Amino acid sequence: MKLHQTLSFTLAPSLLLASTLTVAAPVKIAILETLSGPQASTGLTYRAAARYAVDKMNAAGGWNGEEVQLLEYDNQGGPAGAADKLKAAIADGVQIVVQGASSAIGGQITEDVRKHNLRNPGKELIYLNVGAEALELTGNKCQFYHFRVAGNAQVRTKALVAGMKQANALGTRVYSINQNYSWGQDMEQAIVDNAAPGGYQVVEKTLHDVNKVQDFAPYVNKIAASKADTVMTGNWSNDLLLLMKATKAAGLKARFGTVYLDQPGNIANAGDLALGHFVVQAFNPEAAGDAGEAFVKDYNAKMGHPPTFIEPQTVFGLMMVADAMGRVKPEDGKLNVNKLAYELEKTSIDTPMGKTSMRADDHQALMPMVVSMASKDAAYKADGTDLGFKPVKKFSAEEAATPAQATCKMKRPS
Amino acid sequence: MKARFFWIAIGLASLAAVPFVLSQGLVNAAIPMLIAALFACAYNLLCGQAGMLSFGHSAYFGVGAFSTIHAMNALGGAGLLPTPLMPLAGAAGGLVFGAIAGWFATQRSGTYFAMITLAIAELIHALAPHLKGVFGGEAGLSSMRMPAWGFTFGTTNEVYYLTLVWVALCLALLYLITRTPLGRLALGVRENSHRLSFLGYEVHRINVLIFAISGMFSGVAGALQVVSNEAANYVVFDPSLSAAVVLNTYIGGVNVFLGPALGAALMTFFGYAVSDLTQSWLLYQGLLFVLVMMFMPTGLSGLAVLAIAAAKRHGIRAVAPAAALYLAAFASLTAAIVFLAELLGRVFSQDYKALSQAAGSGELPPVLLFGWSWSPAGMLTWLVPLALMVLGIVCWRTAGGSLRRQADAAVSNTVAAAVTAERRPA
Amino acid sequence: MEHLVISLLNGVIYGLLLFMVSAGLTLIFGMMGILNFAHASFYMLGAYFAYALQGPLGFWGAIIASPVLVGLIGVAVERYILRRVHHHGHAHELLITFGLSFIIAELVKLFFGNYPVNYRVPGDLDFSAFTLGGLNYPAYRVFMGIVAVSMFVAIYQLLTRTRVGIVVRSALYRPKMAEALGHNVPLVFMGVFGVGAALAGLAGAVAGAFYTTNPNMALELGVMVFVVVVVGGLGSLGGAMAASLLIGIVTSIAVGIDATLADLFSLFGARELAEQMGGIFVLKVSSLAATIPFALMLLVLLVRPNGLMGGKG
Repeated sequence: MKLHQTLSFTLAPSLLLASTLTVAAPVKIAILETLSGPQASTGLTYRAAARYAVDKMNAAGGWNGEEVQLLEYDNQGGPAGAADKLKAAIADGVQIVVQGASSAIGGQITEDVRKHNLRNPGKELIYLNVGAEALELTGNKCQFYHFRVAGNAQVRTKALVAGMKQANALGTRVYSINQNYSWGQDMEQAIVDNAAPGGYQVVEKTLHDVNKVQDFAPYVNKIAASKADTVMTGNWSNDLLLLMKATKAAGLKARFGTVYLDQPGNIANAGDLALGHFVVQAFNPEAAGDAGEAFVKDYNAKMGHPPTFIEPQTVFGLMMVADAMGRVKPEDGKLNVNKLAYELEKTSIDTPMGKTSMRADDHQALMPMVVSMASKDAAYKADGTDLGFKPVKKFSAEEAATPAQATCKMKRPS
Repeated sequence: MKARFFWIAIGLASLAAVPFVLSQGLVNAAIPMLIAALFACAYNLLCGQAGMLSFGHSAYFGVGAFSTIHAMNALGGAGLLPTPLMPLAGAAGGLVFGAIAGWFATQRSGTYFAMITLAIAELIHALAPHLKGVFGGEAGLSSMRMPAWGFTFGTTNEVYYLTLVWVALCLALLYLITRTPLGRLALGVRENSHRLSFLGYEVHRINVLIFAISGMFSGVAGALQVVSNEAANYVVFDPSLSAAVVLNTYIGGVNVFLGPALGAALMTFFGYAVSDLTQSWLLYQGLLFVLVMMFMPTGLSGLAVLAIAAAKRHGIRAVAPAAALYLAAFASLTAAIVFLAELLGRVFSQDYKALSQAAGSGELPPVLLFGWSWSPAGMLTWLVPLALMVLGIVCWRTAGGSLRRQADAAVSNTVAAAVTAERRPA
Repeated sequence: MEHLVISLLNGVIYGLLLFMVSAGLTLIFGMMGILNFAHASFYMLGAYFAYALQGPLGFWGAIIASPVLVGLIGVAVERYILRRVHHHGHAHELLITFGLSFIIAELVKLFFGNYPVNYRVPGDLDFSAFTLGGLNYPAYRVFMGIVAVSMFVAIYQLLTRTRVGIVVRSALYRPKMAEALGHNVPLVFMGVFGVGAALAGLAGAVAGAFYTTNPNMALELGVMVFVVVVVGGLGSLGGAMAASLLIGIVTSIAVGIDATLADLFSLFGARELAEQMGGIFVLKVSSLAATIPFALMLLVLLVRPNGLMGGKG
């Protein structure tokens, strides 16, 4: 009798203790980007932002008492490499894949993730899209495990048009020049769609080869011939820089409305010729007030440079994931990705720019946007020059949002 | 002959055992390695055996890939052929396109031939993003493998075995082709095509046939990539892929049949493994290309053949120290170059500039490398790679000297033996 | 009408830029049979050296010093790397230059970073030369054109009128004979390679300020330079000039043409048929502007492989 009692008094608590000692599996997040080769500059920026965000997650205690691990994979510059590295990431036990630098690679990843999840129930993973802004990813390619925490052509253009109109910089004749691939074509469509609310007429639309045109003078010629007041473009990197340089060289007096003017290196290279042109950003420190200032200071201290371009949206997107993760209880020490996805699609957080939430219909994040003008009066300078981006108009998430696309028919797991 | 079959059987058996022995990540890496090996051997049929250096071979790989993806998507996604037979679609596409392109390209020879193949590939690469129906724009086309013959083809291991079977089959066929009269004629084309035409052969027709066959097997390689990735994208026509297959082939060595396969497998694995370790992996790859071309012109397989021949002639005991010294030299020089490249990369990066500005003007904060902290201003930081480089060069020179002494000793032995044989009464 | 004139002018200047880079390549090929894949990398090096030297030496000093540096690098490449593999055949030389292009691009990224650098047109050249059709024509473009034309005249005179030029040309046609006559042919090879590289470096130093200077410069211009060299004729300087101008003008004017093949078919009343077929028939000429040079290259290779003005077959 006494032995039985002693045993039960010792066995029961030790069993209880043992049950809580199940192996906790740390959550693994993978950044699958172009980290080398010609397009490496943007991929490396995404990696820096992801590192900052994951460090913050761990500083706040990680998940389930374990640190969140960030693994890096180089997609070697193309969709085939991305497919190979995604398989490697899956083999390493990654549960969240982060990518943003290219819509083509984003398209490959979202399809591969969907097929893997279909074939391997119980071993799902989520694709967090922090920058691939092609519309089809939340349109006909939308799927339950893809979440976009970046803008898209419709959202960007709506804000840009409204902001420029308020600043009386839009004029009545708008020239649309874009790159001839999905993003550029989305932008062209969005510019046309916003003609009525913007009160302008699209005088001409041009699509050119991506990253192949060295000499934009012929295009400047066309713009001049059309007598446009404003040029709206979604061009990035060299295509934007060369276009603007050619415009300045020809002395063409047209205003530029862009999406990617704040890409690092653009202002340094363009210098004063960028003055007076507009850009629609997801984050502007001046527009974000004290919270923005604190964020910029902290980021600069940890990463060695202030957060610009796509870094803020990546950080905020991962903060949304962290918020959702906090509400998911561990099962056998592991993270249930299905539950995480369900939590993530109803997440809403406060960022320095305002409230950001996820729309469950198409998994497009509703984020605030700000339209800014390149000027010498800006409080925060870009690229180490004396120019910066001064906010002209800030849009809350609701104001900036555009409706979900009808082509998105999301299938949910039970 | 028997020895060769034995080694082939061992090779196939070890490849078949890979999913059981190696981790899943390595199985994933093995599939692109096999595909690259097949592509390189198909290319070598044209380049090494027929002597026609083509610079746009990614076109046939790509055409095979897109033929396959359309075949997979046909009939509402059910696929035109059962999944294990899908590469036949790629073979058909590669064959037809290879024949057409080859007919035009082989009208000229030498550099002009190379330029025509480059132009064809570039033209397709430039047109492809505009022809959305065929090539799917920059997002490409996507599909799903359908279950067939009792397999679901949903796991990587099944895809691996499918790829292995096809690659082994195609390599066997390619080898058998070299044994046919056509294969022999290809060698003739390489050596002296004028003489061949004087002997009565229609050289242009032979060239087109070889080109088409090479295109066919390249198409199979493209098809296997599509079956594995379930997607095809027009970036497959990029000139860098054409250049990669040429480099893989020459690094492996064009004179040995399996040389290109070896080179391709190694370089693919190199890219796969090293790209995640360092940002400067393209620099190392470029250095590898240049150094192999300069110091091992017959490629790695040529080097292996030389080593085996030297071991046979002088005996393994004599050659082993030299081989060990060469390996030591290689390791030491690699360490020195990697150290320098990584150090310089970090010192010249934007983040370091910001750090040093924060530390104060003229201050050079230490850099974290390989788990230790190195100061750029310190002597030790530069002494280490210098010492490694000197060590490498010394080992290299010693190994070369040792081999030369071996060769001289062998010659004088032979001469001495001949002289004594003369002197001895018959 | 004025816009057509501007298009032509733009095309001519862009063509002259292409000429500056391809002049060296065609000389090197004509001389040594090496198709130098690293040539566009020399162009990029020229731009980066000029950017780095602009601080200490000023713009003009940098423009002069940078090609010299690039030329020296070219000489070193030929002497220590290419000469070793010369006897293994053209494939090896080609592949080595290809590997070199990787190395140069990666080294540039290592030292200067991944983003474009701030190499700009100096203030005293940043004015407008004249106005046409309401648009300014920047003086720097005219300057680029002048540099290109003087380069052409200087090399042409050098090759045809001077003793050095005669030795170089004889080494081009009959290297063994020239060597037998006592000329130092390896030195000539080294010199030609170095001068070719220096020309590309000068092109980079001049053009890098106007266009952007970034690590992908070599890739952007690289393939177009090959097209020029092939269309003009491998080894012919005059051909390179003609081909560059042709490609520059065609590309520039094509951007202004929004017609499609379907429009051509409308002449025969078959427009709807062409539009229904879609695909290649509804592509606008303007969006294909960058593709036309490749079609031209293929055509030339099939019909007249010696190019427009190439001599030997």
